[in-house]
Amino acid sequence: MENKGFLREFIENNITRRLIPKGLSWFGCMGGLSLLAFIIQLSTGIFLMFYFIPTTKDALTSIQYVSHSVPYGWLIQRIHAIGPHMMIAMVLSHMLRILFRGIYRHPRELHWISGACLLILTFLMYYTGSKLSVHNGNEHFTVHLIYFYALHVIGIPLAVAFSMGMHFFMVRKTGIYEPL
Amino acid sequence: MANIVSKKLSNHVFTMRDYTKDKKPEELEPFFPNEILRHCIVTCFFIAIEFIAVIVFPLPWKFVNKPDHIPWFFLPIYKLHELIQNDVLFTVLLIFGALLFILWPFYTDGRKCNVPSFDDRHSRYMKKSNNLWQRPILFSIVITVIIFVITLCFINP
Repeated sequence: MENKGFLREFIENNITRRLIPKGLSWFGCMGGLSLLAFIIQLSTGIFLMFYFIPTTKDALTSIQYVSHSVPYGWLIQRIHAIGPHMMIAMVLSHMLRILFRGIYRHPRELHWISGACLLILTFLMYYTGSKLSVHNGNEHFTVHLIYFYALHVIGIPLAVAFSMGMHFFMVRKTGIYEPL
Repeated sequence: MANIVSKKLSNHVFTMRDYTKDKKPEELEPFFPNEILRHCIVTCFFIAIEFIAVIVFPLPWKFVNKPDHIPWFFLPIYKLHELIQNDVLFTVLLIFGALLFILWPFYTDGRKCNVPSFDDRHSRYMKKSNNLWQRPILFSIVITVIIFVITLCFINP
């Protein structure tokens, strides 16, 4: 019963009874859209992990197998390939809005820092991901491929999740930017 | 014990800023459904655009002359590398640029502009000066950098 009470109180305080300043801009949704793009990338990436083989010999073959033989594999692979462009466009527009409106100022400096780190991590995620589909028969490239794969599926997503957690925590504490 | 932990969590971690404290009721709106609906509409648009992009891209024409493996967001960095042709200098410039970008709020002297004032007229003036449009030096720096980055995409070294 206590847990039910806590959950109910949590939902009421954060969603149903919560009041926010009037007249918030539609462009304020860019941050939320960046998160949505990340969730899409994460879910399609988990699907592709089941089929991708990170060796120079099998990497390209496994990608082709997903595209041609797995039901709707082509669609999921295309979404995973187009997603970073959408995500980076959203993150860049979110950051440009914050830059021009001066929302990064005190007490929101750490929001900017965590956001800038998230942008750099997103670039790194794209870079490591793009290396996975490159065909190279060199033996040394297998080692590089495994490094890139580990960074792409574990290292960078963990860093992104940490920075994102910090970002959202700070947004909750200081509140959203209020219009004049 | 669980009760204490959940109370601590709700008091410290999950507590949000209360907007009702310094605002009149007519200056506020409910988060649900107003903000939720706004996010739902924008989400639907985003998903629609992503599906259109999945079908349409890659486009058969090229806006700028670039290799296929370089995406649009890496194009300025790629062109800069072609221009400089010195790996050490290029890496130093990239790291310096990234540090400048990350630490931007600390050298633009923002603290002065956000100090709350009891005088409403003065407070509004202070808040307005947060906007980059009203800070000519910073604005010209940002616009120059943006124009430089866009120009980099179109030059052929």
